[in-house]
Amino acid sequence: MARVTLNAGEPGRRDVALLAVLAVLLVGATAWLVYREAVPEYRDHQRQFGNLVQRRLGDAAATAVPAGIQQLWVPGAGRADRCPSCHLATAWRGFERGDEPLRTHPAGMLRAHPTNRFGCTLCHGGQGWAVDRERAHGHVPYWPEPLADASMAASLLPGAGRASLMALNCNACHRYETATAGAEIINRGKRLVDEKGCRACHRINGRGGLIGPDLSWAGDKNPEQYDYGRLSGRRSVFTWHEAHFQDPRALVAETVMPSFHLPPDDIKALALLVMSWRRVGVDASLLGDLPRTDSPSPQERALAAEMERGPGAWFVKTGCYQCHPVSVFGVKSPTPIGPDLSTAMDDVERRFSVPVDTFVKNPSGTMKAVFARQFMLSPAQKDEAVRELRAAYAEFQRQQAVMPAAPARAK
Amino acid sequence: MDGDSQTRRSFLSRLAAAAGLAGLAAQGGILVRSCVPNVTYDSPSTVKIGLPESFADGLTFLPAQRLFIVRDSKVFRAVSAVCTHLGCTVHADVQQLTDGPDPGARPHLQVQQFSCPCHGSRYRADGTNISGPAPRPLARYRLALAPDDGQLVVNLTDEVGASFVLTLS
Amino acid sequence: MTRRRFWSLRPASTGEATDAILANLLLHWFPARMRLTSIAWTPSFWLGTVTWVLFVLLLLSGLPLMVFYVPSTREAYQSIKDIEHVVSFGWWIRAAHRIAAHLMVIVVSLHLVRVFLTGAYKNAGQREQHREWNWVIGVAMLVGTLLLSFTGYLLPWDQLAFWAVTVSMNIVSSTLLVGPAIRDALIGGREIGQTALMRFYLLHIVVVPIAMAVLFAYHMWRVRKDGGLARGDAPQDAAEVVVAIPAVARRVTVVALLTWLVVTVLALVIPSPLEEAANALVTPNPAKAPWYFLWLQEIVADTTVRIGSVAVNGAFIGGVVLPMALLVLLTLWPWLDRSPAATVGATLPRERRTQVLVFIAIAAIVIVLTGVGLLRGPSWQFYWPWQPWANVPTRF
Repeated sequence: MARVTLNAGEPGRRDVALLAVLAVLLVGATAWLVYREAVPEYRDHQRQFGNLVQRRLGDAAATAVPAGIQQLWVPGAGRADRCPSCHLATAWRGFERGDEPLRTHPAGMLRAHPTNRFGCTLCHGGQGWAVDRERAHGHVPYWPEPLADASMAASLLPGAGRASLMALNCNACHRYETATAGAEIINRGKRLVDEKGCRACHRINGRGGLIGPDLSWAGDKNPEQYDYGRLSGRRSVFTWHEAHFQDPRALVAETVMPSFHLPPDDIKALALLVMSWRRVGVDASLLGDLPRTDSPSPQERALAAEMERGPGAWFVKTGCYQCHPVSVFGVKSPTPIGPDLSTAMDDVERRFSVPVDTFVKNPSGTMKAVFARQFMLSPAQKDEAVRELRAAYAEFQRQQAVMPAAPARAK
Repeated sequence: MDGDSQTRRSFLSRLAAAAGLAGLAAQGGILVRSCVPNVTYDSPSTVKIGLPESFADGLTFLPAQRLFIVRDSKVFRAVSAVCTHLGCTVHADVQQLTDGPDPGARPHLQVQQFSCPCHGSRYRADGTNISGPAPRPLARYRLALAPDDGQLVVNLTDEVGASFVLTLS
Repeated sequence: MTRRRFWSLRPASTGEATDAILANLLLHWFPARMRLTSIAWTPSFWLGTVTWVLFVLLLLSGLPLMVFYVPSTREAYQSIKDIEHVVSFGWWIRAAHRIAAHLMVIVVSLHLVRVFLTGAYKNAGQREQHREWNWVIGVAMLVGTLLLSFTGYLLPWDQLAFWAVTVSMNIVSSTLLVGPAIRDALIGGREIGQTALMRFYLLHIVVVPIAMAVLFAYHMWRVRKDGGLARGDAPQDAAEVVVAIPAVARRVTVVALLTWLVVTVLALVIPSPLEEAANALVTPNPAKAPWYFLWLQEIVADTTVRIGSVAVNGAFIGGVVLPMALLVLLTLWPWLDRSPAATVGATLPRERRTQVLVFIAIAAIVIVLTGVGLLRGPSWQFYWPWQPWANVPTRF
């Protein structure tokens, strides 16, 4: 029979000491935890702002300084922005010269975009859910929408301010406007889209060609979905677009997109514009009377209608005029990125070393992609094309004979 | 066993028990505190409810705000539809009237009384409680015109006296 | 001596100590007396008790998480953001829940290794014992622990969650004949969405925890029935038996406090990650499983077999056949082990040398594969811990 003892002797005494140590440590750890929760970053800002208001506006005003987490719940965009927890002065007058986060928000923008309906992050970017500076400003892993701040603007758009970067966010809602007040860089991009004739190949805002990819929602394309294989340096959607606008073939070997030889500022404007074409999940109630579609301007439509009645009607109806002028018939192209078809009989022979009828039947270069994806002409239509091109050339030669000094197409 | 170690041991066990219980209590408190929300997703208390012209004379019920808007040509009042007893939504017992002798006039609703389906409280048309368990008249809220687009704005946290009305010029 | 009216943690006699056990529901869990060797720190390391404490901590920390979590594909992610940022102590509660879950996987595995190495599933005593069945229950609880971890990290509905469900459901549906049906039952359709989230949520908060609680109760009951900690027939030393109150209760408290302290502190210093919101259009690169599934991830990547023109997907071989074979082997091990009962409690006895080596070899393979998995970076490439990952593309 084993002897039963009441306590475990020495091990038991050690256990009691161990218990005491562990329990005290647990109390310490819990105190540490409570301390961490008790001193959030916004508390300092709230205290500081309270003092500031008290000094400038008196005790009564200071009681209106809020305490605790402040939230702007924007049901129309599914966002809860806690920015006002630290950015306390946005709606107060008299802190226009203050330092962030205690600075008055410029009033103009807030009149059209009151914070109670729009929140903060729709325009500024950042992680509205968070209440500490680092994560709220969103330059952290797994947050795709960082705050459009001065340092990011300085690195991406040297010389331009953060307003230029924010214009990207503006355009998520203002995308169908031809120009948006204050979003100069985006407006510049939109002008370039018209001038350079991007729509000849790309569908943009639901309108345009089928040769290139549809860009209407290009901003939603994820960073992972770009091919960075031929891009040197930092990999980001922005740098990819920059390099791609510079020289499309350098990034995508098989592309038919030409290089437009744009200056760097134009390239940055276009990169921002393309990135702005994204879905932000905003309720129609927030869009107000912004345009919801993008349609050709009345001038464009009038011009097309007029040309459709002229001798070059075939080129207009078929769509060639989108890129090619036919000057001898008075057909102007809204985006003349292709050569004048008046002298196509000559041009084709010279550039491709094949007669026009062969080229039209079996084109190479850009026209191969155009005929394959956008203007799928039947053999009969191709014959008609050759006839029309011959007619244009005959007209060219007739005009040359009459006025030999006025070439139809400037070389 | 000498007395010294006996005392030390009893001190240690008391310390262990006290600290252990304190840690347990503190962390229990933490769990309970976490359930008290710091932010809410409640609907806003100041809401635009539409242009004054869009309200017919007489009574209009706004289900989302649980609110009656009472219009008497240029005079507007906002009367809560929340019973002052236990918060059910009261019914308006109404009579449809047409204005005066003009047969083309818009018909409007005239309140006879408000009655609560939950415990039978009744209120007069002006919101005064007349029978049942309701302890107070129905609440009235401040009405104003929005400076930007001229809509009526009601502030559901700003209760006003029975004499308050919004009179349009 | 008068009988105490209430039970006491400091009994004045062995009789009073026994009364305490009989009078108190919690203490009644303990046997009246235990050998001093059974409550020693080695060789058990109290791993089972630690697991139990972790399970209790998981239940407790899970309650406030359930208050704020919304099991909806539209709101789950945002509700986790809320827990992380604006719920008082939410970040710590979530971290404690996560840390305790990770520790539970580790400790359960160590418990299994300990029981195996000491041959504790063998019956050595005179009275009727069925320790082999407790081993089977233990294996079931190991699976339950992994299932809890898996269903748990799906709930935030971030990229990690979405692609983990995608991969695992493809593994499930690769099972011959019944696979697609099981997959449909688990996710309620062919696409991963609200129905899948709701099912995994219920598995996580109701089905698996209750199953674990029942299995655990049975596990403890079996331990008591089989005579406590398994050991060889050591000499019955007269001085080595103590009454359970206070000796055992005190030591259980030590273990519980220690576990609790470790979880509290680790949750303070290790933040819980949350990836981007689930996006069916983009697979993140890398898409890595949590560490305890990395060895499986390595296996499914290496076991696609081609015989002539027929290719058998690694999902089936590495994801179903091999793990199942391992599980069956583990479950049946007590019946395969023919070594004499006298080896119970002994460390590395000669009679068990071969099977211990086999066991260690399997464990080593799992550990090595886990290590390989840890070193994987973007595009399935290897990176040393000190090497930064090749620049992961961003928007700006």
